[in-house]
Amino acid sequence: MMFDYSGLYQFLYSVSSWLLWEVGRILGFIGIDSGNILYPIRQFLVDPQFVYFVALLLTALIYLVAALLFGIQFIWMERKFLGRFMDRRGTSVGFLGFFQNFADAFKVLLKAVITPKDADKRVYQFAIFAILAVSFMLLGLVPWDINWYAVNVPLALLLGLAVFSLAPFALILAGWSSNNKYTLIGGIRGAAQLIAYEVPLLLVVVSVIVMTGTLNFNEMVAWQQGNIILFIPLFIGALTFFIAGVAESERVPFDLPEAEAELVEGWQTEYGSLGWGLVMCADYLRAFIICALFSILFLGGWTGPTFLPGSVWMLAKAALVFFFMIWVRAAMVRIRTDQLLKFCWNRLLPLAVINLAVAVLIKIYAVGGW
Amino acid sequence: MAEDAKNKSTYQSRSELKPRAWIADGLRVTFKTLVRTTVHRPNTIQYPFEKLVKPDCYRGRPGIVLEKCIACSKCVRICPNRCIEMVPIESATLGKVKRPQVNVARCMMCGYCAEVCPTNAMIVTPEFELAAYSRSELMFDPFKLQFESKPGYEVCSPMILPSEIKAGKTEMHNKGDMAIKDTVALDAKKCISCSRCEKTCPVGAVKMTETGEINPKTNKPIKKPAFDNEKCVSCEQCVDVCPKSCLSMKEAM
Repeated sequence: MMFDYSGLYQFLYSVSSWLLWEVGRILGFIGIDSGNILYPIRQFLVDPQFVYFVALLLTALIYLVAALLFGIQFIWMERKFLGRFMDRRGTSVGFLGFFQNFADAFKVLLKAVITPKDADKRVYQFAIFAILAVSFMLLGLVPWDINWYAVNVPLALLLGLAVFSLAPFALILAGWSSNNKYTLIGGIRGAAQLIAYEVPLLLVVVSVIVMTGTLNFNEMVAWQQGNIILFIPLFIGALTFFIAGVAESERVPFDLPEAEAELVEGWQTEYGSLGWGLVMCADYLRAFIICALFSILFLGGWTGPTFLPGSVWMLAKAALVFFFMIWVRAAMVRIRTDQLLKFCWNRLLPLAVINLAVAVLIKIYAVGGW
Repeated sequence: MAEDAKNKSTYQSRSELKPRAWIADGLRVTFKTLVRTTVHRPNTIQYPFEKLVKPDCYRGRPGIVLEKCIACSKCVRICPNRCIEMVPIESATLGKVKRPQVNVARCMMCGYCAEVCPTNAMIVTPEFELAAYSRSELMFDPFKLQFESKPGYEVCSPMILPSEIKAGKTEMHNKGDMAIKDTVALDAKKCISCSRCEKTCPVGAVKMTETGEINPKTNKPIKKPAFDNEKCVSCEQCVDVCPKSCLSMKEAM
């Protein structure tokens, strides 16, 4: 096998092999044996390659459901916290208002799927799948514990950020194919913003790579366990990463792509029903992935006192970073496009470069040579 | 103009990443709100389950005390939405009388009817949940309109006249004081002595009195109405009923 898979995958592999073996036995029991015309199908069902494929599908399905649940849960968290920040209650259906989002999800699910008459239908429908795919793929790339990941490649960080930076492409497609001025402006703004903020984000990531000497999440966390959590030496970088991350996930104060007052809903304007709901979920998931990356890169990931499992520490740290995102959203106003880009190139980029220099100096003088 | 341009340029040059004003202040204020609402509770009232404590002087739908009412129909006159109407009713204690009926669907709960009521029979009640399934349910007849009176439900706004303010007085008058009461003026030349005003007066403030003159045709004494201003409630019913328009209201200015 090419990749190193998690316990979840091993479990699902055994489950699916058992299941298919049982199916094969039942087929044999009802008389499909050697010589029968359907015998090749039975052979195919218990083939190791097919079992491998089914197990992969099951893993992907579970990750998809987990991603959607993550999205819904973080929408709930944001609504509750925003309510408290604004001196109101937030959602209040069910236990602590938790069921409101499920109600919203079902409502969105039951709406009619409408494609605009003048839209480029193929691209319009493809764009949404592209956005969903690049967003939900991210969940599989981020490890939640030392043994809890979908895929663990040596260049995991690079792969994650590469997948993350595919989003502007899908945004432009969605904005263009909807054939609407709001979506077009929103899509172009979104692409400009995401591409601009990639640069400081990646520079900060480079400083982390310089410090830890690896591109693998597990080894990064192991380095931080052995030495020091990187938030302390690379404080400037952490701040820069946070700001760039807020911009990357299109949240206030950098929510220009979907500025409600000017652009209705930005590039999502023409999307309705399930498509819009899934994109909403994916938006929150992207924000949460940024939080998870922050906690892996700067807060030591799943390291923590052992009275709680590592995955709980990881989730708690990511939720803490997400809380800061909500706080920023409650406190700030949306900035202008020119301010947005000026802020990126004039302030964040120098900060990221300074942070890189700090990392290099620390690496040379404190940690001990190349 | 030049100063404007200067301010603008300074604003632009300083506005990027200035952590004092628009970043730190907002963060501080919102965090304080978060702590307060988490420790205590948010400002929201969960309405159907919990309700605000209403003040005693809350002006909900109007109510009436049937025994106090004298059917002067001042409430009908003052109502800005014209939702009050005098309807005849019959009851064991009161007999056949007229009492106000209120169309609550049209009522805007201003409380003017209670304010002008000379006997405080009309009151404002703390009831405000008046939703019903049909419009006829919202037509409150006098019996449905009844409500037990409390001192807080009566509207007795003290008044002062514009002329008194000009004269420098600050003393306020209560409802029904002589100084602020409109009175009825009689144009005696037009009067035909029909005595309808006497019959229609709800408080018996009009009395037909002999003027000393004698009708030459019938050789009977001519009677003209005399008004007892202490008793009068300025309801204008006599003015309305006069067939020769010889009565008019004289406002206390």
